[in-house]
Amino acid sequence: MASDGGQPPTRLHSDPGLQPERTSLAWGRTMLALATVSTIFLRWIEQHGLFVLTLWGISCLTAAAIFVTQRTRYTRHGEGISRGLMGPNFRSVLWTASAVLVLGMLGIYVVAITR
Amino acid sequence: MEAPGGVAVSIKRGRIAERLLGGGTEPDPRFTLANERTFLAWIRTSLAFLAGGVAVEAFTGDLFQEPVRKGLSVILLLLGMFISGGSAVRWINVERSLRHGLPLPLPLIAPILGIGGAVVAAVVVFLVLLS
Repeated sequence: MASDGGQPPTRLHSDPGLQPERTSLAWGRTMLALATVSTIFLRWIEQHGLFVLTLWGISCLTAAAIFVTQRTRYTRHGEGISRGLMGPNFRSVLWTASAVLVLGMLGIYVVAITR
Repeated sequence: MEAPGGVAVSIKRGRIAERLLGGGTEPDPRFTLANERTFLAWIRTSLAFLAGGVAVEAFTGDLFQEPVRKGLSVILLLLGMFISGGSAVRWINVERSLRHGLPLPLPLIAPILGIGGAVVAAVVVFLVLLS
């Protein structure tokens, strides 16, 4: 199919295994998991008070950060596949792991300390 | 690394990346992406443990005494934290192995997930039968 200017659209990559798409979907599933966990945290408000909103906020912010950076990440992956060269995605991976670690720590604080 | 065109190319790594990866050459990007997807699968597993920890504490008030409920919840949350931290460490170790052409490390978090999950499930079944 031709674009408006008559030029055929260029593909970001030609990987038959669709690696960038699969990775983008994996990030999307993780985002949805974080959103789901954020709603489960809300069940704690009745028992443990408004401090629980901190956990809800961290989950929502992490999910939102994944959503906002999806396009940049997909483009980077597609270009990396095309060039045959790509560095590791330190920022996204370490931020996500840190957020989940903090959620666990705050969860233990809520269970063990607050009433 | 050799790019598809046959020209040796390299990319500039950040300070953290250089320190954690310790040299080596960039592997096929498909391996890097596969490692990232595996990391994400572990993170979702750890999120499931966090959700389980919250659920046990929030929904089993009629079934378990408070100390039991809180104990189970803390164990599940700790398992979730361990899997999350372990998945990041494993991701870095695999990236390092790929760049140095070394065999991939064994996933230490896999047996801990299996044994931890089985023990918690067995305790819950025992307590439910006892109540």
